[in-house]
Amino acid sequence: MVEQLLQSLSRFLPETTLTVALCSTVVVSLFLGRKSQATLFVALAGLVLATWFSFDQMGVSETIFSGMVAVDPFSVFFKLLVGLSAILILLFSLYSSEVQSTLHRAGEYSALILAMALGMFLMAGASNLLMMVLAIELTSLSSYILAGYTREASDSSEASLKYIIYGAVSTGVMLYGISILYGLTGATDFYGINRALTEESVNSVALLVSIIMILVGFGYKISAVPFHFWTPDVYEGAPITITAFLSVASKAAGFALMMRFFKVSFIDANAVGLPTGVWTSLQGFEWNKIVAILSVLTMTLGNLVAVWQNNLKRLLAYSSIAHAGYMLMGVVVLSDKGLAAVLIYFMVYLFMNLGAFYVVMLVANKTGSEDIDSYKGLGHRSPLVSVAMVIFFISLAGLPPTAGFIGKLFLFAALLDATWIWLAVVGALNSVVSLYYYVRVVRNMFLRDPEGNAEPILFSTPQLAIVMLLLLPTLFFGLFYSPMVELANASVMMFGIR
Amino acid sequence: MDLFTIVFYFLAIITLGAGAVVVFSRNIIHAAFALLFAFFGVAGLYVLLMADFIAITQLMIYVGGILVLVLFGVMLTSQVLDVQMKSGTIQTFPAVLVVSALAGTLVGIFWSTPWKTTAAAPMEVTAAKIGEMLLTSYLLPFEIASVVLLAALIGAALIARREKNA
Repeated sequence: MVEQLLQSLSRFLPETTLTVALCSTVVVSLFLGRKSQATLFVALAGLVLATWFSFDQMGVSETIFSGMVAVDPFSVFFKLLVGLSAILILLFSLYSSEVQSTLHRAGEYSALILAMALGMFLMAGASNLLMMVLAIELTSLSSYILAGYTREASDSSEASLKYIIYGAVSTGVMLYGISILYGLTGATDFYGINRALTEESVNSVALLVSIIMILVGFGYKISAVPFHFWTPDVYEGAPITITAFLSVASKAAGFALMMRFFKVSFIDANAVGLPTGVWTSLQGFEWNKIVAILSVLTMTLGNLVAVWQNNLKRLLAYSSIAHAGYMLMGVVVLSDKGLAAVLIYFMVYLFMNLGAFYVVMLVANKTGSEDIDSYKGLGHRSPLVSVAMVIFFISLAGLPPTAGFIGKLFLFAALLDATWIWLAVVGALNSVVSLYYYVRVVRNMFLRDPEGNAEPILFSTPQLAIVMLLLLPTLFFGLFYSPMVELANASVMMFGIR
Repeated sequence: MDLFTIVFYFLAIITLGAGAVVVFSRNIIHAAFALLFAFFGVAGLYVLLMADFIAITQLMIYVGGILVLVLFGVMLTSQVLDVQMKSGTIQTFPAVLVVSALAGTLVGIFWSTPWKTTAAAPMEVTAAKIGEMLLTSYLLPFEIASVVLLAALIGAALIARREKNA
């Protein structure tokens, strides 16, 4: 047993690094005192190391700590995604006026970002219901606090409170569902659930109810409709850095956990290995129909409500709800192709969504406003950043030649392959709607004259460098997408099945 | 009806009844004291299932720790007796519809499902076994739980701290 644990520990290096970094930030903030960026750099170093160690795990496929966590290409992919976005968020934080004006709390800020990243790393790998709940709780607890980080602003506290109430309720419902599932199968690990369902048939109504209840928990994490009510308020009230982190990493971790849970637990393990890459559900239980309904609701509501938003943070909040809906389409099709499409979409989404949030942050730093009116004439006041914003928006809308187009292309291809035509049509119609509200912002930037202050807005070189860091992949992957596709195809493999 | 069943229903009624008082009472002190009985009832259910360690932990942590803390918090908060609990009922009809459908489904499920059960094990002391499991098969959740608590502590400090230079 001891050897086994030591062996597991060596495969747990990324997570261990994050934990050590978490403790270091606490100690460093104690000794180096307040008003210092030191803890941000400690956190940055820890995240870079953890991401590097995850990169090192590529190609490994095993479960560690008695089957609690799986280290496989699928989890490594999401660890890299979370690690990369956390690194970018810390870089954003170095230039965010919200964080820089409260440097005396930077120690807690860095520590909680690390705790959140640790939770997401565990969500990417969790293959046991117990671990799943703990990982979700670690991520959620840290994000509740970070959402209310700017205590001076009352909408920040409101955001935090709304977040925690919704979070507590959805976790409770999820745990109830888990208890029913445990009662049916007598197993807490995903593989055990799969075995139990393969061996004997269970009460289908009970299974359905438990899955719907568990979906409440997942739906809350990925902000799918109708579990999205917290999203706009939290995204608007939280500091922009945290909003951006929630919209990308938290969603990615939620998707990773959900896809692993469904694929490992409810898919016939004998059918997964087939070269067709098409899965069959155990016991004829069509959970993907439920996910399809969620997907349609999520993208339609997200896009339709986004049209009416005048605050850029709220607009991006609804747009991120819509994007969760698009990605759910990839889960519906029950095939390796669909899964790979979701992974591709996440790679693209990371750059374009973080980019859009970063520009909103830069502009808010200078103008003090996130209102759509403050973007009037921005194209004349700060051409470079405005053009970058246009490209991020084009990509979010899914038009060529940006990476967003490639993301949507693969999603729709997977859907058509599995003959989910009506869903593809709904998705395409939604993309058209989304174009409207993205263009509304672009129109304000370029076709309207600035109101009042028309001074040019200047940004420092490192700030622009970060914009470029996000802009170049958005364009590059739009044209040369094969590395992205190869990585996604290699990363669909989960431990134990195939 | 054997003794086990009678004791079970007795404990279940205590737990649920106390729980109902917690939810419906408009007086926060009454609710807190009713919570005490709910916790005792759950501890009793654990004893009935021969989970001795969990039962003791339930008493020590929930009754001895958390509940006493809640009571202190309630009593030390000024004007606690004047607190007007803002709880009202809106949308009664749809709510009744949804709740009864949900309750019906759940009761139906619990009634008709053949649950996966094991035969009753002979009474034994579980503490040593649990301790061993926590440091072997369940080592990772055990350790991660401590990180969750650390994050919660840091967060509590962040929220509660008074700012001198703000």
